[in-house]
Amino acid sequence: MVTLTIDGKEVTVPQGTTILEAARSVDIKIPTLCYHDRMSPIGSCRMCVVEIEGFAHPMAACTTPVEDGIEVATISDRLTRIRQDSLKLILVNHPLDCPVCDKGGECLLQDLTYEFGIDQVEYSAAKVDRDSQYASPLIRYWPDRCIMCLRCVTACQEIKGIGAISVKGDGYGAQVVTVDADKCQSCGECLQVCPTGALTEDLSRYKGRTWLIERVPTTCTYCGCGCQLELNVQAGRVMAVTAQDGVGVNQGSLCVKGRFGYEFINSDERLTTPLIKKNGKFEEASWDEALTLVADKFSAIKAEHGPGAIGGLTSARCSNEENYLFQKFMRAAVGTNNVDHCARL
Amino acid sequence: MAEIIFSSWGGEVVDNRTKESQDFEPVNTVDLPEYFRQDEAVKALMGWYGLVVRDPETDVVDLSRVYIQEVQSKSCGKCFLCRIGTKVMAETLERICNGQGKPEDLGVLKRLAESIRESSKCNIGQSGPLPILDALEHFAADFESVINAKKSVTAGNYHSKLTAPCMDACPIHLDIPNYVECIKEGRFADSLDIIREKLPLPGIVGRVCVRPCEEHCRRMNIDAPISIKFLKRFVADYELSKGKEPKFVIAPSAKTGKVAIVGAGPSGATCAFHLTKMGHKVTVYERFDEPGGMAAMGIPDYRLPRSILREEVDRIERMGAQFDYESIVGKDVKLSQLEADNDAVFIAIGAHLGTTMGVEGEEENYDGYISGVQYLLDINQGRDPYPEGKKVAVIGGGNVAIDCVRCSFRIEKDDVHLIYRRTKNEMPADAVEIHDAEEEKVNFNYLTHPVKILAENGKVVGLRCVKMELGEPDESGRRRPVPVEGSEFVIDCDIVVPAIGQTMDLSLLEGREDVKTTRWKTIVVDELTKQSDQPKIFSGGDCETGPGALITACAGGRTAAFSIDKMINGESLDYTEDDHFQKFFSKVKVFDQAEDLGLLGGRERKELEMLDPDTRKFTNDEVEQGFSVNDAMAEADRCLRCYRVATIKV
Ligand SMILES: Cc1cc2nc3c(=O)[nH]c(=O)nc-3n(C[C@H](O)[C@H](O)[C@H](O)COP(=O)(O)OP(=O)(O)OC[C@H]3O[C@@H](n4cnc5c(N)ncnc54)[C@H](O)[C@@H]3O)c2cc1C
Ligand code: SF4
Ligand code: SF4
Ligand code: SF4
Ligand code: SF4
Ligand code: SF4
Ligand code: FES
Repeated sequence: MVTLTIDGKEVTVPQGTTILEAARSVDIKIPTLCYHDRMSPIGSCRMCVVEIEGFAHPMAACTTPVEDGIEVATISDRLTRIRQDSLKLILVNHPLDCPVCDKGGECLLQDLTYEFGIDQVEYSAAKVDRDSQYASPLIRYWPDRCIMCLRCVTACQEIKGIGAISVKGDGYGAQVVTVDADKCQSCGECLQVCPTGALTEDLSRYKGRTWLIERVPTTCTYCGCGCQLELNVQAGRVMAVTAQDGVGVNQGSLCVKGRFGYEFINSDERLTTPLIKKNGKFEEASWDEALTLVADKFSAIKAEHGPGAIGGLTSARCSNEENYLFQKFMRAAVGTNNVDHCARL
Repeated sequence: MAEIIFSSWGGEVVDNRTKESQDFEPVNTVDLPEYFRQDEAVKALMGWYGLVVRDPETDVVDLSRVYIQEVQSKSCGKCFLCRIGTKVMAETLERICNGQGKPEDLGVLKRLAESIRESSKCNIGQSGPLPILDALEHFAADFESVINAKKSVTAGNYHSKLTAPCMDACPIHLDIPNYVECIKEGRFADSLDIIREKLPLPGIVGRVCVRPCEEHCRRMNIDAPISIKFLKRFVADYELSKGKEPKFVIAPSAKTGKVAIVGAGPSGATCAFHLTKMGHKVTVYERFDEPGGMAAMGIPDYRLPRSILREEVDRIERMGAQFDYESIVGKDVKLSQLEADNDAVFIAIGAHLGTTMGVEGEEENYDGYISGVQYLLDINQGRDPYPEGKKVAVIGGGNVAIDCVRCSFRIEKDDVHLIYRRTKNEMPADAVEIHDAEEEKVNFNYLTHPVKILAENGKVVGLRCVKMELGEPDESGRRRPVPVEGSEFVIDCDIVVPAIGQTMDLSLLEGREDVKTTRWKTIVVDELTKQSDQPKIFSGGDCETGPGALITACAGGRTAAFSIDKMINGESLDYTEDDHFQKFFSKVKVFDQAEDLGLLGGRERKELEMLDPDTRKFTNDEVEQGFSVNDAMAEADRCLRCYRVATIKV
């Protein structure tokens, strides 16, 4: 264990803990922007700089492991100047998009700009044209909104192990670019971790204001993993799917189906009642009608060919209980062991 | 010599601007060369440690503009303040120099310079704005007068260069900060690509390099250097373990030709790689039946498995270079013939003859007296050099001597002495090697010098030695060992291996007195182009430098390849800007061991797992086990990315 002081408070943490984690463990808040709980520290925003007694240079709290006996200060005029400068520089060419930005209301940049009271920027630099191509057509990249925190790049490389996007270019011209679009699985991990509106879901534009959306937690119905997700619901319609960091088996990750495959919910083509084919045409029917028909046909097949002539396939998209009941039904009611399960049904 | 009128280099301000020249204070922190190239005097320097001005006419405002533009263009964009802040600074200075400056610009410059410096992630941002702050402080009047005059300044002539302490120390100047950063980010293939831009042998060099870079690693100033060498090995091994074949893109030069290379050692192989990449037709003539030179025949398998070596050279062959094994130039084919049949010849024959100690009995050629290189050659070819002998005495203090003693165990000779005339502190061998040999229980005889080889019936039976003590320092600064009178004693042994140095076998130059050699038998070539007096003949590696290190040999091969390519394309071999910077940085040091980084250190350097000394010593199994993925990434994360920019006004 290592003991240090942060803003005069003594903290004891295991070796290898970062200053940021140590501070959080005693509820000292250090501003962060690029840091994300699920990834190794990136160190791009420099908002988390702290001073360490005896060392001339401020250090980034998120990337610096603690040392025994160090005295850390998280607030000083110098640190405030640096943090303000970091934000001001980001704002040099950041568009005034908040009113039309899908992230507005839950944007980290917006929050920090507010917190640090940045009401004017005395710096300027010519704008550069950036390419807005992105790895996945399901995601829209707004290069002018991108602050280059590199959470997306890190998530794609580190969480997904894919590396479809990277940084290219030098200095002010550096940009997040697609290095290998073929590799991209459209998983939306990058979208999930982006702290700003630089990446937005592109199934539809202008999603609805975040503060009007209700987030309904549920389990993804696509496969047996059981990923936890939130349906973003506005006026009774699912507008988008998000996930909560650190929650469930998926910890915030989703795959392309879970994250983007929700449009079927409100689809016009979706079946809402059973259909029975009569005279070569499907006709709407009641559940009672449909179930009676199926039961009659099964009984007839069983009587004529025996129960072995019937088999059942169930689905990973059902719950355990449903799957249990299904096999019980096949064995006890139908009388066959011909029951299987396919993850893709 | 024109004197320096201002310097803030290294934080020590010397301001002679208002003094008479006889009262000038000297500048001790930097040795600024007078000339960049022959016709270009160095008028001022702006760089990572400050600002130095020699010519009073220097326009510091314009210099600042050019310098910060260079910093901005080298910013990687991965942290906010440096990426955008240096851009704002560059545009502000551009405006000032265009006569459109405003008084408040100076405040903006200062504030930004401080914030960038204090908070940036790497040394580009941390050191970049420093000299601008010095300029703003000490040349404030110059800035103000440019702003007030509202006229644009005349742009001067400048040379700028990006470097880093490790990169500068590496003989082949690998882009270390970059390849290490890729490892940190988990982009191992990208890391290898960066290494292979210059060096085709990462698996070999990543195992046995003498690592001058690590001696100049700035992280040392706060805890311990980055494990640069083993990170290189890691990416090479990772690729191999995944069974991936690297893709080398052949990009033919405008004109391509035919080149003969003599010697398939590290130098010849590297030269072949680059020439092949540039589309030239290359034939490598090699005396032995396998490639690698001293890396195969000298360096033992437990340090460098032969499979790694062969694979890396085979890849060069698969790229299209032809290797003609068991063909001796000078005997099977004459040098003049090669010269006539090819557009150029690169001689990289290494240093393969053992040197003698000048000890009584040495000329007798007793059985059991074997030179170090021969001893290792036999062992590396799977032979016991002298099966009858069991007790070995090796003389020398370098890596070759350590290899000889450690190899002895591996041919089941376990009574092994090492004899060195100074103490462990003066030993030139790598400290890690010495440590490993100690673990394997070699008998170290320090402060001991051989005087006579004892023999019976023409066979070695012992070595008479004398004890030494350290006297006055000699010209190398090391204390000279002097014999202690009456201290003679005999080491009981039947094999004596002198491993005190090698020299060149220049028989291929017989009849070619036009190719100049030195009295140390090295081939004379231009240090930066590797061309000899005979325009078609180039040379590099051990036979140019004398017995040296693998990476230096590779660097020589690479340089020669580019020179040869230029020659074939009818371009001049004049020194390039890079060449001049190489010379410049031998004076203006890129690494300063005394630099106070002001950063918190204390992060442990990751070390490799090793095989157990008691069992490993009798096998040829590789002793050092490579990094795991996690260890490699954690080690790479320690790198401070010490890139820095220098701008010279000429
Ligand atoms: C025992 C030992 C241990 C060493 N350990 C290290 C180490 O740990 N790290 C390190 O960096 N360096 C080490 N070195 C040094 C390193 O091996 C050499 O600096 C390096 O191999 C030099 O490369 P080269 O290509 O110039 O020459 P060499 O490697 O010597 O290759 C020259 C090649 O030319 C061939 N050749 C010679 N004459 C002819 C001819 N007439 N015709 C055809 N072919 C010819 C030779 O057979 C040989 O293959 C060690 C050296 C020795 C002897
Ligand atoms: S990214 Fe944030 S700050 Fe930028 S426009 Fe969107 S909401 Fe506003
Ligand atoms: S969608 Fe997934 S795979 Fe594609 S870039 Fe984003 S994180 Fe990478
Ligand atoms: S796209 Fe988003 S996550 Fe990626 S660098 Fe830009 S702001 Fe950061
Ligand atoms: S070069 Fe260094 S300081 Fe500059 S943006 Fe990149 S990481 Fe930051
Ligand atoms: S810390 Fe990294 S960049 Fe700096 S000298 Fe060492 S290896 Fe090079
Ligand atoms: S949160 Fe630490 S640098 Fe961004």
